Amino acid sequence: MKSHRCHAVAALVLLGAVTAALGQQQINSSQMATSLAGVSNTRLSLTGAQMRQAVLDNIHNYPGTLPPRPLTFPQMENMAQFVVEVDFDFNSAVIRPSSYRTIGSIADALHNPILLGYGFLVIGHTDSVGGRQYNVGLSQRRAEAIRDALIDPFGVNPGVLEAVGMGEEQLRDPAHPTSGVNRRVQLVNVGKKFCFGRSGEQFVCP
Amino acid sequence: MIRRFLLCALFAAAAVPAWAQTMSYADAISQLAAACKNDIARYCKGVPLGPRLKTCFDANGARMSPKCQQTRSAVYASISRRAAAQRNIGDVCSADIARLCDTSHADAHLVECLVSVSPAALSQQCGQTFNDTGWRTERARQ
Repeated sequence: MKSHRCHAVAALVLLGAVTAALGQQQINSSQMATSLAGVSNTRLSLTGAQMRQAVLDNIHNYPGTLPPRPLTFPQMENMAQFVVEVDFDFNSAVIRPSSYRTIGSIADALHNPILLGYGFLVIGHTDSVGGRQYNVGLSQRRAEAIRDALIDPFGVNPGVLEAVGMGEEQLRDPAHPTSGVNRRVQLVNVGKKFCFGRSGEQFVCP
Repeated sequence: MIRRFLLCALFAAAAVPAWAQTMSYADAISQLAAACKNDIARYCKGVPLGPRLKTCFDANGARMSPKCQQTRSAVYASISRRAAAQRNIGDVCSADIARLCDTSHADAHLVECLVSVSPAALSQQCGQTFNDTGWRTERARQ
């Protein structure tokens, strides 16, 4: 487990460098799997429902065309994760064929044996084009579209995936709110969900 | 017993020959995107990647380009074969694991063990299913 931890840290650092240097360059499934593996043994103390509520509260408490302050989840910063770009049709949750490979790579990563039994958040983010409330719905539908494709045809266990739409509440580049870098999908390892007994039987971890 | 029968039926029904390797999901689905991009735009516009895309292919396949038709059969066969192998490896290889591995099955140690033993030591069905999971090549790339 220790070596996985080192790999994961290295991959996250590498990911930052690669993203900064090459912009559109995407990571492959092995890099995704190591980015998601074993950084922390703790489970995320935050549910998808709580995150969705926090998004709505942020819009209600800090109104404006743009979010006056970004929504942050400090609990999530230490969780193993990565970010990819996925192309959707305009104003739609339909993934473009140009991004099919990215979804396939995520499926390869989630099926990697080192991630067996872990749970994941699929978090969708939009840029600032369109209303904030509308973007929450759009990013939720987009995150669900990715979840749906990972389940069928790629066979990821539905019980380990939760989709959350962040809308534009966490812009990656607040100085350029309409920039494409804000449109992204975040995969977060939320910790072990299913455990396995001596004879291979699966149960929800205590 | 019923499970074993279903597994056999599943393998018999797969369009991929038993000796063929399955593709990674990334390779499989990007072949589909490359070969069927125009057909998807024409016949399956607005259809999400997922179960509904396969339904759209099934409904419109005959009208699509021969290259797309051929590719999508191979792609979906490979994807479902790999997914079934990853789902069923613990059951298919349970006897091999009990014989060869000092571990409970269905976790990462299972793969370490199956990679470390000679392919010849595995039963034919377990060896084939393990190949189909793609984990042998996945492990080699790390």
